Amino acid sequence: MSPSVSPSGTADPASWAVESSMYRALAVLRVVVLLNAIGLGWYRRESLDHPGAAVAVLAGMAVWTAFVTWAYAAPQRRRAPLLVADLLVALVAIAASPYIKGDDLRATLPGFWVMAVVLAWAIHWRWQGGLVAATAVSVADLAVRSEITQTNYSNIFLLMLGGPIVGFLSGLLQEMARDRDRAERSAAAAAERARLARVVHDGVLQVLALVQRRGAELGGEAAELGRLAGEQEVALRALVQTQETSGAGAPAGQRDLAMLVTGLQARTTPKVEVAVPGNPVPVAGAVAEEVVAVVRACLHNVTDHVGSDARAWVLLEDLGDQVAVSVRDDGPGIAGGRLDEAAAEGRLGVSESIRGRVAGLGGTATLTSAPGQGTEWEFTIPKKGRS
Amino acid sequence: MTSTPPGRSPRPRRGGGPGEPERREIRVMVVDDHPMWREGVARDLEESGLRVVATAGTGTEALARFPAARPDVVVLDLQIPAPNGVEVTASMVRDNPAVRVLILSASGEQQDVLDAVKAGATGYLVKSASRAELLAALLRVAEGDTVFTPGLAGLVLGEYRRLSDAPAVPDEPDTPRLTERETEVLRLVAKGMSYKQIAERLFLSHRTVQNHVQNTLRKLQLHNRVQLVRYAIEQGLDDDLER
Repeated sequence: MSPSVSPSGTADPASWAVESSMYRALAVLRVVVLLNAIGLGWYRRESLDHPGAAVAVLAGMAVWTAFVTWAYAAPQRRRAPLLVADLLVALVAIAASPYIKGDDLRATLPGFWVMAVVLAWAIHWRWQGGLVAATAVSVADLAVRSEITQTNYSNIFLLMLGGPIVGFLSGLLQEMARDRDRAERSAAAAAERARLARVVHDGVLQVLALVQRRGAELGGEAAELGRLAGEQEVALRALVQTQETSGAGAPAGQRDLAMLVTGLQARTTPKVEVAVPGNPVPVAGAVAEEVVAVVRACLHNVTDHVGSDARAWVLLEDLGDQVAVSVRDDGPGIAGGRLDEAAAEGRLGVSESIRGRVAGLGGTATLTSAPGQGTEWEFTIPKKGRS
Repeated sequence: MTSTPPGRSPRPRRGGGPGEPERREIRVMVVDDHPMWREGVARDLEESGLRVVATAGTGTEALARFPAARPDVVVLDLQIPAPNGVEVTASMVRDNPAVRVLILSASGEQQDVLDAVKAGATGYLVKSASRAELLAALLRVAEGDTVFTPGLAGLVLGEYRRLSDAPAVPDEPDTPRLTERETEVLRLVAKGMSYKQIAERLFLSHRTVQNHVQNTLRKLQLHNRVQLVRYAIEQGLDDDLER
């Protein structure tokens, strides 16, 4: 048998572990069938032609059983010479039977003991090994018999089936063990990558924050560098926080609104600060996307009407069946009487569109504004959308 | 459970801002694993007239130097070599309930920030805050005020909601709840309003707004400690914890 048919021969700890377990089980089986052969030999001691030879063969089988139990225990000893020797010993034991028991042989001296070598081949060389060993043992068994009974045929039939089946299962188990090992390794690698990413991100964020701070203090060109570092710091922090919350995930068909809203911090105009609960806020997928789109529209409006230096704050609250979202800016605000003016500026047009979109989700929208207090949108939206 | 209330009595307000000569020296400890950052912050604080009594780069160093350094305020990064910032906060506050912990975090990982606040930190700032912002926050924390960012307020609001939504445990009547006024104030903080703006909008004094905000944290910290002590008693560890 070539090594290519024997993937278990490669140095794969997972396969070795499976093989070792199976060989340990086989060792127990070998002892059981050995005791069975010795018992039957003793029971039929009167009918033996050469009892002395029988004792010698049974003793040899016992010694060989002890030897292979030790030999199969270590992966590096499980090689072709051992398996071939194992098979030859079994064939010799079968071949010696007619001499010991006389010509009208009804059962060989080793009996069921020979199945152990078939299973040993099956474990190591898969179904092909099981088939070859079963054939060899069956041919030897048939050759020494003077007549073949129904029972002999049944035993051989079962042996020819059992060898390849055990071999197939052995292969399957080894593949599964390898797959499991691979999955565990990649999960561990992913966890380690995530840990490293946290460390790296934290370090990069620290440096960006430092550059931003020092740059602002130094002024001039350094201030420009500081400003750029600040933009990147905001974007990276938004990304880190988004990834962090995405781990928990949302059920199928739903999105985590907290994660989506956190992503808005990556914007540079207006500068957005986002406040969300620590837990995921699962919301129907389409609703989540529309809510984020509405918030984006509000933020866009802030940039248009307050200026690119404007700051804005987004608050998301989970109210059970509903979510509350608020978008506030630090602009000059609108006095009550100036709403007409605002309408003339086109500001109300955007407002009506925002109201319409929120109403489309089955929610309500409120706009509050006062001089010096900025402008604030508050939305309450059902998580399932319009019912 | 000890008989001392977890909320520390606020110290008498010291008059004036930074630079006033009669102000008592504030002892500060800076804990950060990034040397450049650690030294930068320490230098900034010293130039502003504060006394940096110790610095540390790991949780172990921080806890070892803490008793002798006796800082009033610890400026603490959360991402430090073990024990992490949350454990360091809990340990320091247990050793000296009068110490103030100001979390200064680069990435602001939400659960960590919330855990640190529950463990006893009373301030939180992201590292991109300017030098002036850091100094102002530190002075406020030293006075016993809480320094909230909108993000932290959102987390705290969410935590109260999570606690009240959790299935009621029969022998747990002490689930912390916010009063309506506290919720209102906290929501405005989460919307990015300053205490001054909130005071104007709600017709309250600045001090009252601060007290409401402080209460929201105190209740969470108390709840956290009750939970820890209960856990310790259940696990038969109360002998070790009694102090």
